Amino acid sequence: MGLYAIRRVFGLVPVLFIAVVLTFIANQFVPGDPILILLSDQSGDPVLEARLRADYGLDRPLFEQFVTYIQGIFTGDFGLSFRFANVPVIDVIKTGLLISPVLAIAALTIAVPLGIVLGTFAALRRDTLADTAVILVLVAGISIPNFAMAAFLVFLFAIKLNVVPVAGWGSFQQAVLPVVILAVPPTAYIARLSRTYMLEVLQQDYIRTARAKGLRDHLVTYRHALRNTLVPLLTTIGIIFGGLLSGTFVIETIFNIPGLGSMAIQSVFARDYPVTMAIVLLFTAFYSGINLVVDLLYGLIDPRIRFGGDAA
Amino acid sequence: MPKIGFGLRGTLATVAVGAALLASSSSYAQTLRTNILADPAMVDPITFSELIAGDVMEGIYEAFTGIDKDGNIVPELAESWEAHDDNLGWRFTLRQGVKFHSGRDFTAKDVKWTLEQLLLPGNKGGLNVQYLDAVVGSQDVKDGKTTDLAGVTIVDDHTIDVRFDKSDVLFPIYPIWFMDSGIVEEHGADWASKASAGTGPFKFVEWNRGQNVRLAAHDDYWGNGPFVEEVNFLIVPSDDTAISMYEAGELDLIYVDAQAGRRVLRDDRFKDELNLVPAAQIQYLGMNQTQYEPFKDVRVREAVCIALDRDAMVQGLFGGAAFPLYGQITEGVAGYNPNLKPIPYDPERAKALLAEAGYPNGEGLPPIKVTSTAPRKDQLAYFANQLKTVLGMPVEVEVVERGSHIKKMNAGEVPFFPWGWTAGYPDGLYFLSDVWYGPSVYNRSRWQNDQFDTLIDQSRTTADNDARYALYQEAEQILLNDWGTCPTTVRMQVSAVKPNVQDVHLTPFRFLPFNEVKIN
Repeated sequence: MGLYAIRRVFGLVPVLFIAVVLTFIANQFVPGDPILILLSDQSGDPVLEARLRADYGLDRPLFEQFVTYIQGIFTGDFGLSFRFANVPVIDVIKTGLLISPVLAIAALTIAVPLGIVLGTFAALRRDTLADTAVILVLVAGISIPNFAMAAFLVFLFAIKLNVVPVAGWGSFQQAVLPVVILAVPPTAYIARLSRTYMLEVLQQDYIRTARAKGLRDHLVTYRHALRNTLVPLLTTIGIIFGGLLSGTFVIETIFNIPGLGSMAIQSVFARDYPVTMAIVLLFTAFYSGINLVVDLLYGLIDPRIRFGGDAA
Repeated sequence: MPKIGFGLRGTLATVAVGAALLASSSSYAQTLRTNILADPAMVDPITFSELIAGDVMEGIYEAFTGIDKDGNIVPELAESWEAHDDNLGWRFTLRQGVKFHSGRDFTAKDVKWTLEQLLLPGNKGGLNVQYLDAVVGSQDVKDGKTTDLAGVTIVDDHTIDVRFDKSDVLFPIYPIWFMDSGIVEEHGADWASKASAGTGPFKFVEWNRGQNVRLAAHDDYWGNGPFVEEVNFLIVPSDDTAISMYEAGELDLIYVDAQAGRRVLRDDRFKDELNLVPAAQIQYLGMNQTQYEPFKDVRVREAVCIALDRDAMVQGLFGGAAFPLYGQITEGVAGYNPNLKPIPYDPERAKALLAEAGYPNGEGLPPIKVTSTAPRKDQLAYFANQLKTVLGMPVEVEVVERGSHIKKMNAGEVPFFPWGWTAGYPDGLYFLSDVWYGPSVYNRSRWQNDQFDTLIDQSRTTADNDARYALYQEAEQILLNDWGTCPTTVRMQVSAVKPNVQDVHLTPFRFLPFNEVKIN
């Protein structure tokens, strides 16, 4: 298991490298030259343009720029931001560094248990009014776009009832609405999955056997059935986390939260490539990190899954 | 027990006085909370190059002169100024008793130092560098040949001479912000994130990227106020969020763009809190004669311009948050001509003119694209549709990326484009000399008229305001008579302020510093 974990961590290196290469290439093809944007009205002044290109090292061949960039990453140097005068990328992103993952993890902490409870509840009451009601709510939760829900909830709770602030970051109250809105779609998604898995598991022979043994209903449900739905659910959590991270792009912008998500949006519009690249790299790292954790958790939940060297 | 009674009464009196003191100080210890659309790109006056940074630094830094709430030029760090006899420079008498935020005195040394810092090649000097073109020796400092700006001489602590190669009568009104020459020595080259180097009513406290920029009252401010303890610029990228925050009482003052402005304008609840002022920004439809043959004919240019319905544009494109524009100096900017003839919407005359020019119903006109950036795509659609419908002109819409578009416009390679120009200082010459003067690189339509250029040259040497404004208006009329430009609309700035906040002044040049603002 230890060996497996180490191997997996090293496996992240090529993933991150590919992410760097792809963003680097993508940035070359996005319309919009950052130097022209810096020059703005003074575009066309050849002297100034040449000076700025040299200042940012953009006058050198692409490959050379790429090599310098990779070297910089190893020393924690992501270059200079284009948008902010004379400010290193690291200073631009460091204040918001953990906000997006914290939001995503908070939403996940709500979504997973709540989703499982709702799904199990519906599965056990299959084809009743309660089941239909839950499904209805779930479909709504998945279908309503987060920005629409945000607008509605802000209007209701912040403007009409005045119980939480409209936007901002720094206090618990300010985090309530963004986390709730982020948590709704994954909650609905997890609930639907656990309902399906639960129904499937409840048809299995061993459940019938357990019942036949005379085990109590809730023991059958929670010890035998629920536990077996957890493994397939766990595989989806990595993907859900990715969805949550991208959800922060929208939510942070709406709620004016200074995380990497809103920073990414602003830097893309400002053609601040060095900042964009650093954020993409970080998000890739978060995403692969959580997937690694999920993979390692399998073993803990399902002893049938064996890892690499420990197998035989 | 009378003693105790006395004591009690005494205590009560003390409490009452204390409470009164507290009350008065708490009415002072207030924070003005307002929105900015993005992080400022910088908070130092040397690299200063964009509007949001300007909004923040407006209260921190001061120039020789400023404007009052009616747009009049008023002395700021200069108490008076006098032209040299040969009209090639100015002598400034600086205000005495002005303290920097550091506590140091403001003197002539700081003026010279700031001007040199702007020009030094390693400093990436921003917008304010353009105002130093005429100063003797500015090119040498720019080229790195010297660090001493030869044209600026310190006469004594509060007198300074600035000499020019060519006359520049507007120099005293240029918004060049002066800063503390001791700041780099005290805090190092990256002082801007740590210290405040101005003389303004507020000093820089901190900038939390993505969150806010905080300013605090400068207690030794030489002028009126400040009456609030703190100004908090919250960075709110979405104007819709800003409006909601304002409704919920989380912002005292908002300034929103045209798109979100409609929501505010339509909503009756904001009616008594609105502040609407035209922006000091011209908008025009550029017709480049070097790129499209038919534009060489003045009749075609007039036909295009009168085929547009400005009132419909104001309502349809801007939801009422605009005014029709008939000239190329906007209202509230010195030299504005209130008596300009409105440009009519006259489709019949437009058709007739086009036929006269040899293109009846648009026949024979080569295809043309009307080009601009994404924020103007609605305008593009209107222009293309309107010109097609009214004139039969084969116009197509082209939406392009901003950076390369500006480069092409500056190179005079875009035939047909709506664009704007924002005044950098409070005088109409800024529009005329930058956008329509022959040799200017920002003359993106490449319209050229010798008589116009002569009038502009003359304006630059005419110190008397009224005489100079008369020259502007004469030049502007030449431009309009030749249909060299097609003025379209002026943006209306939309701002709302809570009823308990007083003396916020919105001018065509955005907000005045908040030194007079009081919160009850």
